[in-house]
Amino acid sequence: MSILSFCQWLQSTDFFTALRGSWDVYPAVMSTHLAAIAIFGGLVLVVDLRLLGLALRTRPVADVVNQLRLLKWIGLLIVATCGVLMFGAKAEEYYYNAFFRTKMTILALIAIHALVFRRSVYARVAEFDRSGVIPGRAKLAAALSLMLWMGMIICGRGIGYIEPPLDKIHAANFGDSLRNPEIATQARGQVTQNPFIFSH
Amino acid sequence: MFLAAAENPLNASDLIFPVLECIHIAGFTILLGTIGLVDLRILGLGLRTQKPAEIARDVGPWTLIGLVLVLISGPLLFSSDPDMYYLNPSFLVKMVLLALAIPFHYLVRRKVALANGSGVGSKIVACTSLALWVGVIFGGIFIGFVNQLR
Repeated sequence: MSILSFCQWLQSTDFFTALRGSWDVYPAVMSTHLAAIAIFGGLVLVVDLRLLGLALRTRPVADVVNQLRLLKWIGLLIVATCGVLMFGAKAEEYYYNAFFRTKMTILALIAIHALVFRRSVYARVAEFDRSGVIPGRAKLAAALSLMLWMGMIICGRGIGYIEPPLDKIHAANFGDSLRNPEIATQARGQVTQNPFIFSH
Repeated sequence: MFLAAAENPLNASDLIFPVLECIHIAGFTILLGTIGLVDLRILGLGLRTQKPAEIARDVGPWTLIGLVLVLISGPLLFSSDPDMYYLNPSFLVKMVLLALAIPFHYLVRRKVALANGSGVGSKIVACTSLALWVGVIFGGIFIGFVNQLR
């Protein structure tokens, strides 16, 4: 099963069909996504600003990093659950959406960031408090984290600005299946006029 | 005060509106993140080894930065299509909640935090604060959806 056909199947399930058509549940999921980003993403921001020495300067780094960890994970769970729900409702459209693809790439980079800096920064915060100095690599980790999460916000907002013309993409594929190059080329020509749409 | 949508230079470029939206989102993340940090602490969650007053004093300037960012980007977003926003019920709900949330934060929640409140009353204040701000966000998101009902 290709990723595309999985996306088509996913959004055609009863659950996601109902979610897509709902005028109130769908925006409520989106609002919860945003509210959780604000509150719990705000905690990520606070931790990053602490490592950069820009906020909570008189509080121990270890306290800030360790005591907010659980809340950040809870927040991520809420944000990701809402994200998956929104994706499922419009999975095929999202599949073609360049901002969505970029956002998922950044998400993968955030996971790599956590793996790379876990030992050298986040497990050593007590040392920073003892020495009173926050090393460069910790500041680098914080600055990268801020940039990656800003990228997530920008791409997330960008998703709504692209509406892949599914009807034309379908028409092009239909032309292919009929072995009718005229239909396919005409439809594909309209599709590729939009630089945001990936052809596949 | 506001120009008609077509005359507003803000509508001359396709990019200005989404960029303002991103500033708006970044702004309310700073705003709610720092307010939520103190609310959660009053509720006994998060930075438990620090006192609410210490955290509130430390993040106060960041809350203000967040507030300034949303209060600059918000009216600019509004000015792109004032008639639509003015008639939008969700926008009106958002404005009412915002008109409650800002004074509630600076007149009530701030005093509770600075007094290191931890009783039931303080916890109710923290929950009210979170509910008001989350309500503002719901109001903002629903603007784009109630519009499609007509």
